[in-house]
Amino acid sequence: MKSILEQLEPCTPGGYSPGGPRATEPTAWAAMALSRAGRNDSAGRAGEWLAALQSRDGSVGVGPDAAQPQWPTSLAILAWRRIDPTRFSAQIERAVAWTLASKGKPAPRNPKIGHDTTLIGWSWAADTHSWLEPTSFAAMSLRAAGYQDHPRSTEAVRMLVDRLLPTGGCNYGNTEILGQTLVPHLQPSGIVLWALAGEDANDERIGRSLEYLEGQLAKPTGCASLAYAIIALTAWQRRPANANGLIAEAVGRPDTKDSTYKLALLALAADEEFHE
Amino acid sequence: MSNQHSKTQIDKIDRRTLLKVGGAGAILCATPFAYRWGRPRAKVFVSRGQHYDGPLAQTIRDGLLAGGAEPAWYRGKRVLLKPNLVEPTKAIPHMTTNPAMIVAAAEVFRGWGASVKVGEAPGHVRDTEMALIESGVSEALADSGIGFADLNYEEVVWRRNRGKRSKLRGFWLPQSVAEADVVVSMPKMKTHHWVGITCSMKNFYGVLPGIKYGWPKNVLHHNGIPQTVADVNATLPRTLAIVDGITCMEGDGPILGTAKQMGLVLVGASLASVDATAARIMGLDPMQVEYLRLAVRRMGPLDDSLIEQRGEVWQELATPFEILDQPHLQKLRLEKVGPQVT
Repeated sequence: MKSILEQLEPCTPGGYSPGGPRATEPTAWAAMALSRAGRNDSAGRAGEWLAALQSRDGSVGVGPDAAQPQWPTSLAILAWRRIDPTRFSAQIERAVAWTLASKGKPAPRNPKIGHDTTLIGWSWAADTHSWLEPTSFAAMSLRAAGYQDHPRSTEAVRMLVDRLLPTGGCNYGNTEILGQTLVPHLQPSGIVLWALAGEDANDERIGRSLEYLEGQLAKPTGCASLAYAIIALTAWQRRPANANGLIAEAVGRPDTKDSTYKLALLALAADEEFHE
Repeated sequence: MSNQHSKTQIDKIDRRTLLKVGGAGAILCATPFAYRWGRPRAKVFVSRGQHYDGPLAQTIRDGLLAGGAEPAWYRGKRVLLKPNLVEPTKAIPHMTTNPAMIVAAAEVFRGWGASVKVGEAPGHVRDTEMALIESGVSEALADSGIGFADLNYEEVVWRRNRGKRSKLRGFWLPQSVAEADVVVSMPKMKTHHWVGITCSMKNFYGVLPGIKYGWPKNVLHHNGIPQTVADVNATLPRTLAIVDGITCMEGDGPILGTAKQMGLVLVGASLASVDATAARIMGLDPMQVEYLRLAVRRMGPLDDSLIEQRGEVWQELATPFEILDQPHLQKLRLEKVGPQVT
């Protein structure tokens, strides 16, 4: 864990890949990881960097000079809440207000599409449909901010459960298209299961999804997918015994070095107490 | 190797007729000639009997040269190869461009003095590292020393929409795309359950960054898939197509269809013409594929009489691909497929 933080701290704020542009998501995750590790100065600086990106409407765009799209707003909320909810109370309040007002575009039910298109979550970009990852992040941010019982939060949970595949796991957010069931992938499955941990959701696909995550960890995969899967299993108190070994291998890959995004997620996955 | 199509002789007869016959007769005879003279032509190279462990670099080189490529032009140029890695999984290898095709193409362009990079913005998976591992591309690039650009997360530049088929005013292009001298579409030849076929033009959805357009790229879907396919292609810098038609996908493409062995490689600089040829080989009418009809003029003609076939002729290769029993797809069927079609 310490070695990950030693690499992460100097490249925060940072981006998705070494030398790549600084971006909101990697910096938000990094802020959370650094804060949890007690590195409050660097976490605070990351929090201020995020605050400087906040628009008048309360949203936070994908990066500097990129106010659109605004899906990372919820990640900024999570980061500020973690760093110091008092110091960033004004930013959190405005971001929460924007999040509650922002909606994915619903559509009438369509027999060619398997999921319930009328459920409203959050979208990647304005005026587009609701998808799993932005909805998961928004649900987690509202829960962290004390809005777990808000109708938007409860509908988000219904939406996430609706999009689980019959045999477990999630695709990017479709379930069935023209009668064919899509295949699951580790990253969206991990993110959705992480969001559902601690929610009052009762569906047998959740158990199948957790088994899916456990089964996939034996196969080579990307750092982000690995991290999200371990975070989710930890949140459900099913942390794999070999989690730290898998994380260490991922940290050692050449492309992980200087990637704020990958290092931050792996740092959070390495934190055995992390499940917020 | 070059196989002159009989249509070339028809053109010569028309010109001779025009010179000999005057007056109204000349006007009547000139009409088909004038039609073809005034409209752009394109060359599409098709090679059969190809294998992933075969001499693909030679095939691709032959195809590019047959299309008029000048190797000296590529010296010092930046070439970006764009394969299809939309949603890779080891369980469905026929969904994505085979790594052997990518390595072979890189070999050709590097041999001509170009600097080559591979770039992709997978549309259905955010973890590009995972996509590279599942598709086998990661290992292939590492073995060949070819660099990779994750187009989902680069610095972006704004480019005005040069197609104007949709309402989008412009597109955010990743730096690697905007700076490339040539962007090479390297699709897998597949059916598509919404638009009928996905080939070189539809593959260019994957140059647009998910960080701006989402996963999937819903901004494009909400503005019309055929319209935005046409617009993205019109907005890109110079493009080429090298199509992986060796193991294709039929049925419920572009993700869950079944493998279909064809052994083909298609190459061309006019992507609409390449896709039109691919469609005909698949037993589909390109004139019924909306994104092809919307393609701007410089993407090449769809009319078979304006496409000069190099290598094989499509009629001898055509075999109906299975498509879903949906009305919007069944209407794409060509009535006749096979060597008897002229």
